[in-house]
Amino acid sequence: MVLRIRLARFGNKHDPFYNIVVAQARSARGAKPLEVIGTFNPIPKQPTNLYNENANARAYKEIALDRSRAKYWLGVGAQPSDPVWKLLSMAGLVEKKPATYEKA
Amino acid sequence: MAPRIQSRRVSNALLPYLTSPSSSPSVLSIPSLSSSSQYLSRQFSATAAPQTKLRRQMFEWLSTSGAVLKHHTPGQTNYLRNFLNDEGGGDRPFPSNPTFTSENILSEELRNEIYVLVVEKKKSVRAVSVQLGVDMKRIAAVVRLVELEKRQRAQGKPIALPYARSVHEMVPTTPLAQDGERQQFHEPINDLPAHPTTGPQIFYPVPESRSFTRVDAGRVFSGAPSLEREVAEKITHPSDLAEKAIENPNSIEWVGKGDNARQVLQPADVRIPHPQLVKLELDRAAHPEERREVGKRHAERMERQEKAEQERRERAAARREKSIKHVEPEGGRFDYRFSDAVFTAETTGKDGRAPWASGRRYGVPTNDRKRGVVKIPTRVEA
Repeated sequence: MVLRIRLARFGNKHDPFYNIVVAQARSARGAKPLEVIGTFNPIPKQPTNLYNENANARAYKEIALDRSRAKYWLGVGAQPSDPVWKLLSMAGLVEKKPATYEKA
Repeated sequence: MAPRIQSRRVSNALLPYLTSPSSSPSVLSIPSLSSSSQYLSRQFSATAAPQTKLRRQMFEWLSTSGAVLKHHTPGQTNYLRNFLNDEGGGDRPFPSNPTFTSENILSEELRNEIYVLVVEKKKSVRAVSVQLGVDMKRIAAVVRLVELEKRQRAQGKPIALPYARSVHEMVPTTPLAQDGERQQFHEPINDLPAHPTTGPQIFYPVPESRSFTRVDAGRVFSGAPSLEREVAEKITHPSDLAEKAIENPNSIEWVGKGDNARQVLQPADVRIPHPQLVKLELDRAAHPEERREVGKRHAERMERQEKAEQERRERAAARREKSIKHVEPEGGRFDYRFSDAVFTAETTGKDGRAPWASGRRYGVPTNDRKRGVVKIPTRVEA
């Protein structure tokens, strides 16, 4: 059975929030995973504009990640889903996945 | 749905009376107005009479004693006064509630002075607070808001100046002292809210021969064992503890275990916003002749404490910054902030469902719709 590192959606309607989880590939999205290794808040946060240094700051998305567990699961062959691959590549844990137009 | 067209002209008999400044209406004009548009002016009323007693009284009041309140005098409050005994007009907006007084707000000059002192002359927030008698939190807020205003001016954004001007005309303000004048204090700066630990009544018998100070009382309230005799003898005044607590807040003792662990309640001399002022006053009383020396010592103390506090703040910021990785992907609209998290049995509980664990949990109902759960943001993230 394939292990996947993927996102599990929480939160209410129009208010998504994801746990980054390690789960069996064929288990349901809301099923209890093997392990939770992080969280991802897809709603961008705007830094307060009260300070001059923040005046032109861009909105940011928050990710919490247990790096050592992520490395371990990648080491034993867990496959990240595409969105998680994107996050892990930004965190520097995997190589960037080439986009379709780059492969062609 | 198409907007409904109103077939009848809706007129408010009150409106022309209250808004037209040129013609000064009197009680005499009211009956004529209401007789011509009697049907229109009270179309929702079930009372058959053209005027009710209360309405008549209202118009009578508006044309006699209420007429004074129509226009305000700049620089003075325009509050409803208690006309019967004519008292408390100055700062009491509600005549029936004499305990409510409207507080002063900062005048334009004073808030600009605060900005100049803090940002341009690089004085510490604490020093400015003591100098002008403005709370430290308010000073921080003023600096941020003036900064925001300056940026908006630089960007050419519209600023609601007429509104600000008329509000400042109508509410009491604290002026900035002219040269040679003494600055009027805006608010008490050393207030201390009652600590919840001091809520319960505790009957604690103490022998008369033993000295029992605020330090000991704090220890009793937090359930800590009393101080050793040698340590207690070194404390001549409760404010002696302030310096150590400011320079190293971690030096405050802890009592209790696990969830019940708490820091020992410090005496009020340590917890007030400006504990340095206690030391200054004591020093002044002890050496009334050496005014300059006392001032110098106070300045040195302040500088030392500011430095320690600044260092501590920088260390904390650096630690926070170190644990967060910023990623700015090319061509993306958003930045990403990766913070380190640890998901182990200690942080998530043995079943992974500990209420303090980060992330959302499985098999645990979210309590966000429970009564009493605060859903609105309670603080601003920097």
